[in-house]
Amino acid sequence: MTAIPEAPVSGPPVEKVDLRGAEVAYRRRGEGPPLLFFHGLGFSQRWHPLHERLAERFDVIAPDLQGFGDSPPESWMTGFDDLALHYAELADVLGLHRFHLVGHSFGGWVAAEFASFYPERLASLTLITPLGLRVPGDIPRDLFRMTAAARLDVQLNDRTAEVLGDDEGRPGLERLMQDYADLTAFGRFAWNPRYDIRLDRRLGRVTCPALVIGAEEDRVLPSSHVRRYAELLPDAQTTIIKGTAAPSGHGVVLQEPAAIAAAIESVASRSQSQAGAQ
Amino acid sequence: MQELEFITVVDRTYPWFPSAQDRDSIGIDMPNAYYDRDLGQQVLSEVLQGAQRAERLGYDGILVFEQHNTPLTLIPNALTAAAWLAGQTKGIRIVANGPVLSFYSSPVRLAEEVALVDNLSGGRLTLGLPLGIGAAWHGYAVANPVHARPRVDEAMALLNKIWTEDGPFAWEGDYYNIPYVNVWPRPRQDPVPVFVPAAGSRETIELCAKYDFTYQAILVPLPVLQKNLELFRQLRAEHGRPDDPSRIAMVLSVHVAETDAQAREEVEKYALWGTQNIFRYQFHESFPPGHASQGSLRGMMSGGYRSADVSQTTWETMTHGPLGVIAGSAETVRERLAEATGLLGAGRVILNTEYTLPMWLQEKSMTLFAQEVMPHFRAPGALASWQRQPAAAYQTEAELIGRTPRRAGVPEVVMGDQTVPLYPHVPGTR
Repeated sequence: MTAIPEAPVSGPPVEKVDLRGAEVAYRRRGEGPPLLFFHGLGFSQRWHPLHERLAERFDVIAPDLQGFGDSPPESWMTGFDDLALHYAELADVLGLHRFHLVGHSFGGWVAAEFASFYPERLASLTLITPLGLRVPGDIPRDLFRMTAAARLDVQLNDRTAEVLGDDEGRPGLERLMQDYADLTAFGRFAWNPRYDIRLDRRLGRVTCPALVIGAEEDRVLPSSHVRRYAELLPDAQTTIIKGTAAPSGHGVVLQEPAAIAAAIESVASRSQSQAGAQ
Repeated sequence: MQELEFITVVDRTYPWFPSAQDRDSIGIDMPNAYYDRDLGQQVLSEVLQGAQRAERLGYDGILVFEQHNTPLTLIPNALTAAAWLAGQTKGIRIVANGPVLSFYSSPVRLAEEVALVDNLSGGRLTLGLPLGIGAAWHGYAVANPVHARPRVDEAMALLNKIWTEDGPFAWEGDYYNIPYVNVWPRPRQDPVPVFVPAAGSRETIELCAKYDFTYQAILVPLPVLQKNLELFRQLRAEHGRPDDPSRIAMVLSVHVAETDAQAREEVEKYALWGTQNIFRYQFHESFPPGHASQGSLRGMMSGGYRSADVSQTTWETMTHGPLGVIAGSAETVRERLAEATGLLGAGRVILNTEYTLPMWLQEKSMTLFAQEVMPHFRAPGALASWQRQPAAAYQTEAELIGRTPRRAGVPEVVMGDQTVPLYPHVPGTR
C-alpha cells in the first residue's frame, strides 16, 4: 500500500499584525468559530492540508510562532510567559475572545502554557504529540543534534518525500538560513530546560475540554508524555491517530490530516455541548 | 625582520578510542568509558613535559586551552591547569585559553579565579576568553546559546569594570544582578593581558579594539582575515590605540625536521589522524541554535565554510596556502613564518604541534625550532620576552620595600587607652 499525498493546497496569503513592535505573520482562512493553530519545529511557513480541512468548519488562524518563519525574532522574548502574553495580545488584536486552540509538538507546549495562563479564553484545547513535560526516564529525541532534513525524517518516520511531496524547492542557502532561524527560535525557549515542571501544577487550571493526540510510532516523543498530559489536564481525553499507509509518527499532523481534523471537531463539539448544558 | 613572540600549545590529545568514519562529532558524546586512568595520567604528564621543555628552550609562552566532553584535550579547565603549570615553571608566560564566560553562572567567579592564578604565577598569566565552540554547549546547561552574545558582552563589561575600578559596586545588568561586586584578591598584573580567539565576527573585532585585547585569529580564509584585521587596526585607531603587531596573534601548525621530506615523514600520519578523528564536527554540531548570528552564518556559508568534509582532508590540502600546516626544514619554516606573519601584520604566533605526536618527536621539532628558527625573529641576544621584561611580581624583599607609595590602609590595634599601628615599621603605609 502506498500513501497518496494530499493534493497540494494553495494556502491563504500571509497577513501581518504588529503587536507594539512585535510582528506576527499568520495565515487565515475559513468561517466558523475561531481556531488558533501553533505549529511544530520544521513546519512554519506552511498552510497544511490539515489547516485546509479545519477551515471547512473553523476560522483557522495559523501564525508563524515567535522567531519562526516570517515572524521576526524579538530578543526580549525569553520565556513561555512572554509567549503566553504575546498570543493573548494577538487574540485581543484579532478580536478573538474565546477560541479553540490546537498545538503540535513545540506548538503543543506553547498551547499548554497558554492554556494554563488563560484557561477562560479557551473553548477547547488540542495537543498533538506535545513537548513540554518531564516524564522521568522518557527523554524526547534531541532535535538540536540533527540536520533540518533529518528533523523532518525523524518526525515523518522517513517518509518525508511521500508526505511533503516536492515541497522543498527553496534554494540551498536560503533554506539553510531559514531552518537555522527556526531552530534558533525553538532554542530560545526550549534549549534548557527542555520541559517546564511548573506545567505539572499549572495545567490543573485548564477547564475546557481537552484532547491529547499521540502517534503509533513517535520517534521524537515517548508515548508516556501523551498519557501524562491527559492525567494533568482536568477534562482530557487521549487518542492515538493511526496511519493509513504506515504507522503514524511525530508529524502525524502532516501524515493524517483527515483523522486529526475529525478528532479536533469532536473535542470542539464536546465543548459546544458543554456550553449548551450550562 | 619583524620580531615575533612564540607561544607553544601544550595540550595533548587522548587518542585511545576506536576510529570510526560515521561519528557525527567527537565533542559531545564520545563515551568516556574509553578513558583509561593510567593512559590519561600519561597524557596529562606530557602536558607538563611540554611546558617545562618550552621554558628551558626559551619560548615566550605556553598556551593551555580547555575543551569539554572530548578527548581532544584532557584539560577542561585552563585556569586550573595554568595554576599547576605555574607551580612547575619559573618565568615563562602562561596563556590560559578557555574559560568560557557563558559557562560560569557569574563572571565574579571567573574574576576570582583569574586574580588568584595570576598571583600564584607571579603575574605570568595571559587570559584567553573564547565564546566556546558550538559542540560544548550541549554539555553545559548554564546558558542558552541563543543569548550567548549579549550575555558575554555584559560579562565582559563587568569583568572590565572589576579590573579597572574599585569595589564594591552594584551591577544591574540584563543577565547579572550582583548587589556587591568586590573581588579579592586583585590580579597581580594591572591589567591581565587578554586574548580573544575569534572566528571573524565584527562584534569580536570591536570588543578587542575597545578593551585593547589581542585578536587571536582562527579558522578563517586569508582574504577574510586580512579584511578583518584591517578593520581591527582601524577600530583600534578610533580608540586612540597605536598600531601594535603584538595585538594580533595567529595560530600556525609547525613541525621542523632536518629536511622538508623528513618533516612530512615525521608528522603526516598524526596530522591525518587528527582530521579523520578529532576535528570531525558536523555543521549541526558546530552551530547550536543562535551560536552564529544570521549575518555571520550567511557570510560563512557563502564563503564555503567547511563545505568539504574535514575528515577527507589530504596532506596536500592541509599544507596548502600561507596559513596551512608548515612542515619542513628550519629554512623552510623560517620563510613560511615570515610570509604568514607578514601577510597579517601579526607579532605573536601560537604554535601548534600535532597533539598526538610522540614526545621524542615533539622534543626534536621544538628543539630545532628554538635553535634554528626562533633566534631569527628576535633581537640580538635572542632573549624571550619574559627574560627581557620584569615580571609584575616583586622578586626580593628589598624590592617589596622599595615599591612605594601604597594604596593600602594602616591596621591599628587598641591597647588599653592607646591606639597603635599593628606593623609600625612598614614604610609607605602611612
